[in-house]
Amino acid sequence: MSSDTTGVLPREGVAVSGVRAALLQKRTRLGEHAYTVVRWGGAAVFAAVVVALLISVAGSSSQALTRSGVGFLWSGTWNPAAGEYGAGILVVGTLLTTAVAMVIVVPIGLGTAAFLSELAPGWLAGPLSTLIGLLAAVPSIVVGLWGLIVLTPIFANQVEPFLASMPLLGWLFRGEAYGPSVLLASVVLAVMTLPTMVALSRTALAAVPVADREAALALGATRWQAVRKAVIPAARSGIQAAVTLAVGRAMGESIAVAMVIGNRPALPTSLTAPGATLGSAIVNQFAEASPGLGTSSVIALGAVLLLLTVAVNAGGQALLRSGGGHRAGTAGALR
Amino acid sequence: MSGDPIARPEPLSLVAEQRAAANTAASALTHGHPSSATPPAVTLEGVQVSFGDHVAVRNVTLAIPARQVTALIGPSGCGKTTLLRAINRLHDHTGGSVEGSIKLGDIDVYGADTRPELIRRRIGMVFQRPNPFPAMSVFENVVSGLRFNGVRGRALLRDAAESALHHAALWDTVKDRLNQPAVGLSGGQQQRLCIARALAVEPEVLLMDEPCSALDPIATAKIENLITRLAADVTIVLVTHNMFQAARVSDQAAVFLLGEDRVGELVEAGATDELFHEPKNPRTRDYVAGRVG
Amino acid sequence: MTVASALSRRDLVRAAAQRSLTRRRITGRLAQALCAVAAVASVAPLVALLYYTISRGAQVLSWSFLVNAPTPPGIPGGGISTAITGSAEIVGLALVIAIPIALLAALFLFERSGRLAAALRFSADVLAGVPSIIIGIFAYALLVLPLHAFSNLAAAFALAVLMLPIMIRADEEAMRTIALDLWEAGIALGARRGRVARSVVLRGALPDLVTGNLLAIARAVGETAPLLFTLATPVAAMTLLIYTDGTQAFPIAQETAWGTALVLLAFVLLLSVAAKIAAWRISRRAR
Repeated sequence: MSSDTTGVLPREGVAVSGVRAALLQKRTRLGEHAYTVVRWGGAAVFAAVVVALLISVAGSSSQALTRSGVGFLWSGTWNPAAGEYGAGILVVGTLLTTAVAMVIVVPIGLGTAAFLSELAPGWLAGPLSTLIGLLAAVPSIVVGLWGLIVLTPIFANQVEPFLASMPLLGWLFRGEAYGPSVLLASVVLAVMTLPTMVALSRTALAAVPVADREAALALGATRWQAVRKAVIPAARSGIQAAVTLAVGRAMGESIAVAMVIGNRPALPTSLTAPGATLGSAIVNQFAEASPGLGTSSVIALGAVLLLLTVAVNAGGQALLRSGGGHRAGTAGALR
Repeated sequence: MSGDPIARPEPLSLVAEQRAAANTAASALTHGHPSSATPPAVTLEGVQVSFGDHVAVRNVTLAIPARQVTALIGPSGCGKTTLLRAINRLHDHTGGSVEGSIKLGDIDVYGADTRPELIRRRIGMVFQRPNPFPAMSVFENVVSGLRFNGVRGRALLRDAAESALHHAALWDTVKDRLNQPAVGLSGGQQQRLCIARALAVEPEVLLMDEPCSALDPIATAKIENLITRLAADVTIVLVTHNMFQAARVSDQAAVFLLGEDRVGELVEAGATDELFHEPKNPRTRDYVAGRVG
Repeated sequence: MTVASALSRRDLVRAAAQRSLTRRRITGRLAQALCAVAAVASVAPLVALLYYTISRGAQVLSWSFLVNAPTPPGIPGGGISTAITGSAEIVGLALVIAIPIALLAALFLFERSGRLAAALRFSADVLAGVPSIIIGIFAYALLVLPLHAFSNLAAAFALAVLMLPIMIRADEEAMRTIALDLWEAGIALGARRGRVARSVVLRGALPDLVTGNLLAIARAVGETAPLLFTLATPVAAMTLLIYTDGTQAFPIAQETAWGTALVLLAFVLLLSVAAKIAAWRISRRAR
């Protein structure tokens, strides 16, 4: 559709007198121009917001970044008292909590999506997905409060000692069971990313044509073999997008993580040890940051987080857009 | 066998006659006895297939002879595809119901201790639109059924794939791109790949649901030639709304028409040449002459 | 291929299919059971969250809790009235900023195809995934730092930026699904574009627009991180109050946090359910 439409005449203009028609046409052109202007205006304001966001985050963190250079990214120390600022440990903490959250949420989310899309009867699948959708609406602060007050004692007294006593995997959870920890933060992140994971994977599975399922069944596959070998592989790009967008969400969550991770900017020695992420550090350090370099360094953490999440989300969006294109070959070949 | 399928259609009865003559000669050669003497591969008795309250097709009694091509013909909406999906138990998988008796040899397809997975292995299916698994290569597609059925061993899979692709007249086309995505093939090639995939699990019966409806005339001709050749090893049930196709490739035909209450029913069945040449039922005559449907 | 090898292969496949069937069926049952367990595990957090928020929150919830102003620590009888009115004010202001911009930008996307629109659409989708804390930093750097003052306006700006991409995409989607043929009919009749947009598209898409915007509002009401950088005192918004009171070790402060969480959760879930019902009614009417 072109935006040049001032040539379109109002139909009623034909019936009225010449003078009125000319007047009407003039008003029409004016209105049309005004409409074009505001429409472009809306888009321009939005574009300006995006650009301003990038500029102001970059600008406000420039003091810290010029002082530490690119080394800010991997310098391991975050010790404002000594005037040492580096994002390294926090980047590791962010990636670690996100990875553990994904270990939890990907199998559960995918299993749930498969259950809803392939296995459950309609009367059950509908209400269940509505409930899981409602979880997405729960504010992160409420999840954080629940994690802090309800889950922390359970983790300190039951979950963490149990995990530490496990054979083979126990070493991952060794050390004092303290409650607030990388593990607890990951569980809270898993809860928060679960609706994204379920909804997007379910959409991807549902988009696989019935013909793929029936092809497998007609060869003698069991229902589960059809799901596992025909449906899930065909939905792969959509599922990858779901995971990627869940990763983006998990990396960027700050307030709930800050409430349950223990906020110790050091390399965690085990999953039950306290840690810190970029987001949790921003939440905790911001109020106490000294004006100037301190504040600029905290904002620089935000710049690093912005880079990470934008890269991940752009990848996820690209995957979403590419999804469903795999059968283009068939469509083209049929003619 | 049946001349150039793209050429202007000859009168149906003539096409069927040529086809019947050719087939009698061929089966006499390969089997050493007239095909009518073999026991039926699939027997349907008083079969009625429904979706919930809606009956799609009813009262079907039909013997499908082994190692021949049986065509189910009739206008669309008279339950041919539904009936076909009842034979390999896809229909009840998707929530439909089937009454009456369907037997594969001596086995009751809907028997209490009959496993649908085993039935579907023995009764293969080819669908209207080519549906190779999009995430799999050509090779993986052909052996997918064997893997589903627990067949292991690289050499074995490789041999089976080659043999199935030979049977589907696709080996020479794809032997150098076995590891490329199946969706890169043309539509006709994809459909032959689906036939190879179905043949690889060594079915006794192959159900084909308008397998050429998404293909161009040249690809259609190739599939039709393939069907007549496959009948030497496999019993084929072909759903088609194209009477010329039925006349070209089938030995037996069964005509389905809509009854007065909009329910599909079997009107007449018999040798294809007789059915087209001298139909017994007046409704068949009208249909064959192009006056209904 | 010889006849013998074909026969033996047929026997082999038949035997393998029969032999493996029990294993395949058990594996399938097991996997299906695991999927069902996963589904239960997916619903469990919501149930637990609702249970704790309601049972803890209900203990403190009362009329005076809603209408009284907060009291200094240690003095009983305090409420959360300032947080409720503060949240309402901030979100209201954010809506005044975001709704018109989003609507116009969506109209722009609706009418244009091509690179510019695709780029704008893509940046909206990516911006929707930008962590809210970064949007808080943005508002801080743009409005708080230069003016040397925390303000509801800065907070509202942050929430507006947060809602913009969600609203734009929801609005555009609403216009597309409901109004494309109406739009073309309007243009074909020779109506002015601006008028078509106002009367036909917007009216036709109104129910969908409401649904999408309700969801965006629900998201904004529950945000905390952006307010951290833009508000001077925690009692100025519900989410901030939950954060500061919830992280204190005093039982009274935690009770206030649960009470506020219940009020917030009820409001947000109400908005989401309203949006769901609106969407459901629309889809029913369309059928």
